[in-house]
Amino acid sequence: MTMRPWVRGVLAGPLSFICSWLLMAGAALYLPSGRAGVDNMVFPIVLFPLVWSGLFLYALLERRLGRGYLVIVALGLAHALLIARHLGVAP
Amino acid sequence: MIKLSQDNTRRVLDIHGWSGILLGLLLYAVICTGTVAVFSDEISNWSSPLSGESVDGFPTGFNAVFKRLYEEVDPRWREEVDAFVAHGGRIYLRFEGELESEQEGHHEHYGVEYQIDGNTLEVLKRTEGLDHERAAAREAGALAEFFVDLHVRLHLPNPWGLFLTGVLGLGMMLAALTGFVVHRHLIREAFTIRRNKEALLRARDAHVIAGTWSLPFAFVLAFTGSFFSFASSVGLPAMAMVVFSGDQERALAEVFNRHEPYDDTPAALANVDTMLADASARGGAKAVFISMNYVGRADAFARVFTQVEPGQLSGRAFDYAAASGEFLHENPVLVGKQPSAGNTVAALMTPLHFGHFAGWVSKAVWFALGFAAAYVTLSGMLLWTLRRAQRRAWQRMAGVVNWMGYGLPLAMVLTAHAYFWARASGVAVGSVQWAVFWAAAVAAALMIGLGSQARARAWMIRLSGAALLLLPLSRWLCDGPSWASALNHGQQVVVSVDLALLVAGGFCLWPRSRRREGFVPVAEATS
Repeated sequence: MTMRPWVRGVLAGPLSFICSWLLMAGAALYLPSGRAGVDNMVFPIVLFPLVWSGLFLYALLERRLGRGYLVIVALGLAHALLIARHLGVAP
Repeated sequence: MIKLSQDNTRRVLDIHGWSGILLGLLLYAVICTGTVAVFSDEISNWSSPLSGESVDGFPTGFNAVFKRLYEEVDPRWREEVDAFVAHGGRIYLRFEGELESEQEGHHEHYGVEYQIDGNTLEVLKRTEGLDHERAAAREAGALAEFFVDLHVRLHLPNPWGLFLTGVLGLGMMLAALTGFVVHRHLIREAFTIRRNKEALLRARDAHVIAGTWSLPFAFVLAFTGSFFSFASSVGLPAMAMVVFSGDQERALAEVFNRHEPYDDTPAALANVDTMLADASARGGAKAVFISMNYVGRADAFARVFTQVEPGQLSGRAFDYAAASGEFLHENPVLVGKQPSAGNTVAALMTPLHFGHFAGWVSKAVWFALGFAAAYVTLSGMLLWTLRRAQRRAWQRMAGVVNWMGYGLPLAMVLTAHAYFWARASGVAVGSVQWAVFWAAAVAAALMIGLGSQARARAWMIRLSGAALLLLPLSRWLCDGPSWASALNHGQQVVVSVDLALLVAGGFCLWPRSRRREGFVPVAEATS
């Protein structure tokens, strides 16, 4: 690790958690809802712990910390934008 | 063998150790209480059986009692009506409505709850009040509930307790995943114990063996546990906000297929016994839960759940028009209005976490694997502190690990004693349980702090053993049935749990040589 551990810790902890939450909430808008109309909500909730673990490990193992920030922030922002557009608070 | 660069191996090893040591103490508490909670039904049946034959499901004649009590209840508390069978054959009949709280615009659940003897259909107790007041009155299940509550939310208020246990589940998942990567020679290590080597190596081998064998289970438990913690505290609010634009009521109605009202014409309720019997016949298992809305109206609705039969992954749910008693359709047991992949996946989480899909056999396996996971957590923390034992801070940490590791089981057993004596004395069971639990925790801390850690630990094991051996006696002295009486009334659970406690107590008190006590040198090194 070339940068201070806490910079990586912020990425692995709070940022990964927020990104996972945005992924979960945003995924409900594009996943198929299935014949009962609930699959788009159930699968993101079920997969939330796995997504967070995956992002956490990625954040800690990514050799280039800048790229780690870029990937996680971009993922989170893309889903945040999707949610904002759905709720009518973004164009 | 998983190949990693030296740098990444060091990082993964750090994650494995630190995720274990930072969250390990609380995780150990969650695992220990969860291991006991596998048998929560048996614990409540054992700790408070009714006199007479044990009953399973609703008895015929419940309809008459239901209708009599329904007439007694203030109409304001008849919005939702539930009845379920629990705690040694008691039937809990619950009437609920909304009460405006002191905070403007907020409502709280208020209602009346009856406890009914499943054998005689006699009303044992009537409680009126808010949710938590009625829950506190369910003393028959207080002991099992104590362990379940500690496991589910560490007795913290919601949603914070659920959130914390969810994070602990994520930590356990990380420790399992990184353990898989760190221990590169999994197959070889799963069978290796260096019996003639020093205690540290033997302890390390025992940690790796238990960890390796319970790795898939630990992952499944952590994953499903996180799901349960986050689904209601994080997941559902997120879905309500995004998919239903913040309308939580509509989200719950869609996800859990709540029945919409359509006709408020007054109408009598159909025979409840008939609906219960019909659901039992359709489901091939006894009905154990009925939930009703809009009772007393033409659009009254009932959903009946049957118990989980051995060999099945979940129970079944059947919907009825409660005014006519007409069967409507089978409902997915968890989410949605019809069977779906989402419901199947969500419904899988419950048997995978609770292990009740094959009766007592699968529960015993889940208990054993939970025990192994607790051992892995504790031995991992002790190894971590031992390797740093030359530093004073880590010596203190070793004391904290010993306190939690051996003090928690002691406090749990003493809490069970407190449950019986509090009930016999007629004092508030919940408060006494917590008072005894914390008193035991403080006593354990004093034992660790005032003397050698090794000696304190040995004493805590001995005291736990003695408390386990004496627990059947406490149960019997505090108005519990004798073995002969229990067997005469088909309450085998009483004898089975008593015997299990005697075996566990004997195991704790069984004399063993210092050499075989895995972490004695650790404690000596750090005391």
